[in-house]
Amino acid sequence: MSSVRERNESAWLLPADGSSTNHALREGMRRYPTSQTVDAVVVGCGAGGATMLQRLARRGWKVVGFDAGPFWDPDKDWVSDEAGSHQLFWNEPRVISGADPVPLGSNNSGRGVGGSMVHFAGYAPRFHPSDLRTYSLDGVGADWPLEYADLEPYYEQIEAELPVAGEPWPWGKPHSYPHRPHPVGGNGEVFQRGAEAIGLRTAVGPVAIANGRFGHRNHCIYRGFCLQGCKVNAKASPLITHIPDALEHGAEIRADSMVTRVVVDEHTGRAVGVEYVHDGVGHFQPADVVIVAGYSIETPRLLLNSASRRFPDGLCNDFDLVGRYLMVQGAPQTAGRMEQEVRMYKAPPPEVSTEEYYETDPTRPYKRGYSIQTVSPLPITWSEHLTAQGYWGAELRRRMSDYVHWASLGALCELLPQAGNRVTLDEQKDRHGLPVANFSYSMCDNDRHLLKAAQSTMEDVLHGAGAGETVTIQRFAHLVGGARMATSEREGVVDADCRSFAVENLYLTDGSVLPTQGSANPALTIMAVAARAADRLTGAA
Amino acid sequence: MSTPLPYPRFPGFDVMSQAGHWDEVTRQLVEDRLEPDGGASFFSRLERRAAGALVDRLTGQDGGQLVPVLQMLEDRLASGSTDGWHHQRLPQDAEVWRRTVLHLDADAQAIHGADFADCTADQQDGLLEGIRTQGDEPWHGLWAPGIWNLWMRYVCSAFYSHPRAWEEIGFPGPAFPRGYKNTGLDRREPFEVAQAHPEQEGDPHP
Repeated sequence: MSSVRERNESAWLLPADGSSTNHALREGMRRYPTSQTVDAVVVGCGAGGATMLQRLARRGWKVVGFDAGPFWDPDKDWVSDEAGSHQLFWNEPRVISGADPVPLGSNNSGRGVGGSMVHFAGYAPRFHPSDLRTYSLDGVGADWPLEYADLEPYYEQIEAELPVAGEPWPWGKPHSYPHRPHPVGGNGEVFQRGAEAIGLRTAVGPVAIANGRFGHRNHCIYRGFCLQGCKVNAKASPLITHIPDALEHGAEIRADSMVTRVVVDEHTGRAVGVEYVHDGVGHFQPADVVIVAGYSIETPRLLLNSASRRFPDGLCNDFDLVGRYLMVQGAPQTAGRMEQEVRMYKAPPPEVSTEEYYETDPTRPYKRGYSIQTVSPLPITWSEHLTAQGYWGAELRRRMSDYVHWASLGALCELLPQAGNRVTLDEQKDRHGLPVANFSYSMCDNDRHLLKAAQSTMEDVLHGAGAGETVTIQRFAHLVGGARMATSEREGVVDADCRSFAVENLYLTDGSVLPTQGSANPALTIMAVAARAADRLTGAA
Repeated sequence: MSTPLPYPRFPGFDVMSQAGHWDEVTRQLVEDRLEPDGGASFFSRLERRAAGALVDRLTGQDGGQLVPVLQMLEDRLASGSTDGWHHQRLPQDAEVWRRTVLHLDADAQAIHGADFADCTADQQDGLLEGIRTQGDEPWHGLWAPGIWNLWMRYVCSAFYSHPRAWEEIGFPGPAFPRGYKNTGLDRREPFEVAQAHPEQEGDPHP
């Protein structure tokens, strides 16, 4: 494999003077007129979209990337402050429903170039080989039309490009990471100590935070604001890992541009471009290939909003699959009170993981499993942990004043894909007059078993570390699925190469194509799937 | 100023004394929070009395105010800034706020013969606890657990964004570009303050 810099120069295209943004690169960005048919348009500049843009631009494609949100300048636009980072999230209206409704926004939805990875914690684990065969192995979920070996080279590529730091990884298919593990703070120490006490194996990482200088990116300063956008440029997001190289190779980014419709020619059946709104004015950008990477809520919504005579129920929705099998991970967080001061806000929230309970254990009454990682809620988020216990008013204030003593762990439980968990169009309209997404979610029995088991393990770890009281908040994390890949159009929306079954030049290259989710944070896998799709699309693999 | 804490847990802790170490954009943001301009208003005068009493009770602020939660809340509601979702069983956030404060007044009148703001703290707490523990039953036609969640989300994100609240819990606030050098258990930065009697009688943690 070529060196990172030879295939993706992003980190070296950032300024070397400590500032965050290469303004000259952005100002000199190539611009295509809307009268010109470009080789491809990419809708969404997050994990999947930015990876596609960089790969295609490198191969000489004329590409334009659209994002509904801003082209961030971390120096000016981001703050080292929890409430002040609210703008990083997709705060446009959406409706949630079902028996176990999933809050969106800050929890799982990004907006702006870089996407949700701008505010993801930074965990970048791989999926396990079993995640791609859950139906064959366990009779639940679905098998992918891909094998782990198909993804493995792309995992290696992306891990080097982010880059990922961590100890040699003993779980799934064992592998190592390009950067050494980071030192851990108080919260990580509690996890390690508690796990050791109960005989549970942990490992430091894997985090998409360079350990040491990487290109012109700075070393992590362990300030704990990973979820607020990394002003340091230490934590990876496509804004700094893939977009600079894409620009250098002729890609254009149209930020603040909301794509409202994918247009398909009624006669040829091919996608011909996208309609979008910028500054309140509608435009049409023609393209030979249309790639949608709006993530699990907005990708299905865009397809459903792109209905036509040929596709009366929504684009690619002949078999009523668009929006279905949308997944979130069960993500209960359990905190324990230590006698010592933990001050968990110091050091990055992502520090230490275990995947010891990731695989199906035949002695348990449920299939699949969960992982456990450190999390370090800042004050506003910590208040949610306590209000979830029913505390409010003076009692809440007293409990909050104990913040420095608490250590916090989070689980990711592999909740199963279900057809009824889906995005549909709501009656409510957004400011463009388009129906907003309604996301309905309900858990099954297997899901509830997993949540219980994960909570119990976290309590054991924390008590093992010497914690007294523990508190748990039930929550969800991440989104994948909603337009899954499969071997046939009756089972999925796209094939293994992310090409839609219904429209031969329409691709979906984001988390929505994942058929299962494992117990791993999805960012790395979304990028790996997109990098593979780019190779397939350009004939490089 | 009254406080729910028997004594300051981090005596002398002054978050703003470190503002010179923060990046300019963040410093401006936090300083603006200390002196909100008070321009935007969302509630009518009638609604505002009940809303003010409500958010004070929810954040344990009676008597004197540590954080101007009502003003922060009104600014936010007036700007239409939501969390990017609302539950299908509830109207949109702004409408829920408007309706619920009026319903509080109606309940207070019906039960105590006074506006919510004129009830005693105990009466107010009783009304609020009733809504919190209402279960899945609607309250004035609105889904009670969703109301409680929405109220607490909005007031806590305002209250715990404020340096005075950070001082109460020992959190030093922004950390860029300085970062931390003393991570790990029982380790403090020079600008972090030790607790007063954290494990002794009178510990605010019950």
